Amino acid sequence: MSISTSYRRGFLFAGSLALVMAAGGPLAAQPGFSTMDKSNPANSKQDTNLKPIPTPPVAPSVDKLPLDKIKLPQGFKIEVWSSGHPGARTMVMGDKGTMFMGTRVIGRVYAITEKDGKREAKVLLQGLTQPNGLAFKDGSLYVFAINKVFRYDNIESKLDNPGTPVELTEAFGLPDTVHHNWKYVDFGPDGKLYVQVGANCNICEINPGVHGQIRRYNADGTGMEIVARGVRNTVGFDWHPVTKELWFTDNGRDWAGNGGPEDELNRVPKGQEGANFGFPYCHANGIPDPDVKRPNPCAGVQLPAALTGPHAAGLGIKFYTGDMFPKEYKNVAFIARHGSWNREKKFGYDVAIARTSGDKAKISPFLTGLLNEEKNEQYGRPSYVFQMKDGSLLVSDETNGAVYRISYGNPKTAGKQ
Amino acid sequence: MTTLLRPPVLGLAAVLMAAPAAAQSGPLAEKLALCAACHGEDGNSKMEKIPSLAGQPAFYVLNQLFLMREGVRKVEAMAAIVKDLKDQDLTDLSEHYAKLAPKRSDEPIDPELVKRGKELATQQRCASCHLPTLAGQEQMPRVARQRIDYLVPTLKSYRDHPRDGADTAMSQPVGGLHDADITALAHYAASL
Repeated sequence: MSISTSYRRGFLFAGSLALVMAAGGPLAAQPGFSTMDKSNPANSKQDTNLKPIPTPPVAPSVDKLPLDKIKLPQGFKIEVWSSGHPGARTMVMGDKGTMFMGTRVIGRVYAITEKDGKREAKVLLQGLTQPNGLAFKDGSLYVFAINKVFRYDNIESKLDNPGTPVELTEAFGLPDTVHHNWKYVDFGPDGKLYVQVGANCNICEINPGVHGQIRRYNADGTGMEIVARGVRNTVGFDWHPVTKELWFTDNGRDWAGNGGPEDELNRVPKGQEGANFGFPYCHANGIPDPDVKRPNPCAGVQLPAALTGPHAAGLGIKFYTGDMFPKEYKNVAFIARHGSWNREKKFGYDVAIARTSGDKAKISPFLTGLLNEEKNEQYGRPSYVFQMKDGSLLVSDETNGAVYRISYGNPKTAGKQ
Repeated sequence: MTTLLRPPVLGLAAVLMAAPAAAQSGPLAEKLALCAACHGEDGNSKMEKIPSLAGQPAFYVLNQLFLMREGVRKVEAMAAIVKDLKDQDLTDLSEHYAKLAPKRSDEPIDPELVKRGKELATQQRCASCHLPTLAGQEQMPRVARQRIDYLVPTLKSYRDHPRDGADTAMSQPVGGLHDADITALAHYAASL
């Protein structure tokens, strides 16, 4: 058999490779992962059968949504804002009120519009590779998939036929590696388009010139600057309404224990653009990595403003600037915690708030009830938050393909469909 | 790599022509007859490079049909077939195949490769998602008793990138594998 012969040649080669590895050669890798990845699940003492949670490509009907499970502080109300759009994640709103929604695996971008008092979600784009990154400016929708960047001009007048976009893939020159490379993008107060490039592994030495960054560009993809380095996997950021500083969530590494290292809420201090946030050597509040080591791993590292929980997966973050919620919520950040997979006892599946004060923040629960700790079961995965003009807050739920609207006080405004 | 997954053009034409005749009753039976022409009457494929669907987790089949319909996973031969399927069709088809019993194909299986593949499967921690039996679960496919000539190009397409966009979780475990490792893994999975 020719297969067998060629295999034996391969085996000999693999055999000599194993010797190199045993001798501590440059290709030494933990079994089970790419040559890049340095994690050692056996050392983590976790259940090695932990696995990522799938996103159903089909959304449940409205009556099956877990609305009755959700708990909020007194005075707040929740209702279904839209449903039936599987994989619901990022939300950006056009000038004319169209809600654009990005997804990951299912590759769709939705346009949610209101028609005859009813909300309708239509598939605007499909077949993209994880189009999680959406931004809207001057009538144009920017779509960032893993390997493509498109701009759809005047999109709100072309929802039925978006036509051919302006392709900006080359201009942005982003890497096409898939790992941690689904995008989050937003225009900052400086008018620049902020884009992250995640670490292309769970834990490894990354090329700091390419990966583990938040960058900013002019809207046409020129003038790239690095705003933050050593960032493992942020998929949500926002600017503090008063200080205008950039705050971002960051997901900690996996396979280093059920306890973390905890996820982070970080701040890029004014004038310190380009600061280093520690990946891969230093995690959370100064925890050296157990697998990727170097002397003084946390030296010069910008430590987080707050820890956001073990494997909690804080994704979307928005500072609240509306008038509907009580005053104590003004300038408070809402963080959607998608919920853990690499943890035996589930954690997260909620919306937390971060009250910031200078360089620190205090995290407390806000929307809860989607995690049953006793049964170790979850009923939904909050992904992103969006503040409406009236001050109500939208929360997307990726598992249930729905968006919930949280309102406070005046029942007339709160009950408006 | 997608070209490797394409069945012979003539085969497809024959399928499309044969489909109405093979229809039994009801819309699901009609669709199943079309599937059966390539994937086997009992969901166990006898056709080169065409995967067996018998015993696949329902979530997996539903997800893949969806990704093919939407153009995220590009399989030319499937494009026309899945184009007009409704979500309910995807659910019905996936539930049907989940109930069928998986059988080994008649491809020759090399015991030495099986041995090496078993070691590699432990090393690459295939079981942590696909289960120790490699029977799959949820979005992770059954690879046990799958066709070797389907598994090899599929693993390569994850390694060499054409397919990893639809499923980033596979890019890491197959990263850095040699062709011979992939062949061995396929023989092991097929042998189970």
